[in-house]
Amino acid sequence: MSIRRVVSFLLPVCVMLTVSAQVTAEQKEKVAKPSEFPCLSYTAPCGKIGVRPVVKKMPQDLSLGDPERGKQIAFKRKKGNCLACHRMNGGSQSGTRGPDLSRYGSSGRTAAEIYAMVYDNRWQFPDTVMPPFGTNEVLTDREIRDVAAFLRASR
Amino acid sequence: MKPKAMFVALAGIFAASAWAVETEDRYPRTPIVPEQGVWGDQGFSNTIQYWGSKEALNKNASLQDDPDNVWKLNHKHKDGDRVDMHPGHIGVEEGREMVDSWSSKKPEFLKCLSEGKGSLQGLAANYPKYDEKLDRIMTVEARIEHCSQTHLPKQIKQGSPANTTSALYVKSLSAGKPIQVDLSSAPVEQAYQRGEKLFYKRIGQLNFACASCHTPGSVMGHKLRGEVPTTPFGDVAHYPTYRTPVGELEPLHLRFVRCHKQMRAKPLPPGDPAYTDLEVFLSVLSNDYPISVPSLR
Ligand code: HEC
Ligand code: HEC
Repeated sequence: MSIRRVVSFLLPVCVMLTVSAQVTAEQKEKVAKPSEFPCLSYTAPCGKIGVRPVVKKMPQDLSLGDPERGKQIAFKRKKGNCLACHRMNGGSQSGTRGPDLSRYGSSGRTAAEIYAMVYDNRWQFPDTVMPPFGTNEVLTDREIRDVAAFLRASR
Repeated sequence: MKPKAMFVALAGIFAASAWAVETEDRYPRTPIVPEQGVWGDQGFSNTIQYWGSKEALNKNASLQDDPDNVWKLNHKHKDGDRVDMHPGHIGVEEGREMVDSWSSKKPEFLKCLSEGKGSLQGLAANYPKYDEKLDRIMTVEARIEHCSQTHLPKQIKQGSPANTTSALYVKSLSAGKPIQVDLSSAPVEQAYQRGEKLFYKRIGQLNFACASCHTPGSVMGHKLRGEVPTTPFGDVAHYPTYRTPVGELEPLHLRFVRCHKQMRAKPLPPGDPAYTDLEVFLSVLSNDYPISVPSLR
């Protein structure tokens, strides 16, 4: 088998795999419903669901997202709603519980570190009030990359 | 397995376990002494110094104009007798008409509602309470539901406008009376313990507990965009309340539903046993505080 034939076989497979991975990520985003997470009921199935385990995800090969899109995601109430707790560059009516992130680009944090904290900050602070946006599928992988790019660009 | 591969695998396991963090399914507890009732807030948010009495509210009236500190009044400056005429009073009148007309058609209904006493005066201050015959904790709303189911042609379900309006009327007959939930009753005490646990349980897609927003050190006292969550002490005293932004009466369990939606957690139906336990917990945190209906929020 020549190298060329191997490549011509593998390339479409790789493309298909990436595409299908993206499709499932987007489908997942649509189906995460409140009933998939723990609730207070003594009888409904969600009453027996446990909290999702902590995930520390710090991808070193991070391809940065789009800061403008990241800003939209961070501000939208139905998406990140980071403004509920953080000051952010260009945001108004911000909350005061979390640290001020409006100049976070100068913090020295790498995009991978920001990704890991937004994905699930419980690996640093088990009792944090900040939602685990990645673990609990509030935001997709791409959306967290976008938000990380926005924070890196905030100066 | 080749030695090198084995080493890599073992190193991987070690690295993973070094990172493993225990997953907390509860928000850290702030100790509460239930016997202290509403005064337990002194060891909690200690905002009760601003809202615990009429004198304190008058003395600290200037906080109303201070956007960073107004949360310390726990919204108590909006309570009943401090605002003269408002739609909550109309709700009380509507509730009176409902209960009167049901009672005149079916005297057994009033007897059931008043636990055989014939008068509803002052009764609500001791709710929630344990009903031995039914072997259940009863809230005012649950009593109305139960008595309507047994004595009226149609059940008046918890969460329905008729149930909320008549509950407001029943509570108004105890206005000014200090809440006295009987913690010496074992089933009530057990419900308190369960309710406290629920208050700290992390739920929903955002992984919040009630405590994430309503205990010291949490989001309490901080701006959450427009709103500032306050202490849970003293809260049940003004429910059902008239919600000015939407022009409707709201019972306590539907306030729970609204907080659940913010948490992206599955809301439960009004009257759910878990909500009843939460109500017992919160009512004990209002013991000694006067019922303040009708109110505006
Ligand atoms: C409910 C409040 C809350 C929300 C909502 C929230 N955070 Fe946070 N965040 C915090 C708190 C509190 C901290 C401080 C560390 C901790 O306790 O986890 C924090 C820490 C951080 C940090 C680390 C800052 C540092 O110390 O270097 C980053 C980055 C961050 N948040 C980003 C975000 C982004 C992006 C969003 C929205 C997708 C968001 N946060 C939403 C509360 C919140
Ligand atoms: C994300 C934050 C958040 C969470 C989590 C939360 N709440 Fe709230 N809650 C609020 C805010 C904001 C208000 C409105 C301000 C206030 O009165 O505290 C509020 C108000 C209330 C009130 C009405 C207080 C009043 O004076 O009328 C009650 C009762 C209440 N919450 C109970 C709960 C319970 C029970 C839970 C858990 C099931 C819960 N909350 C979870 C933010 C939250």
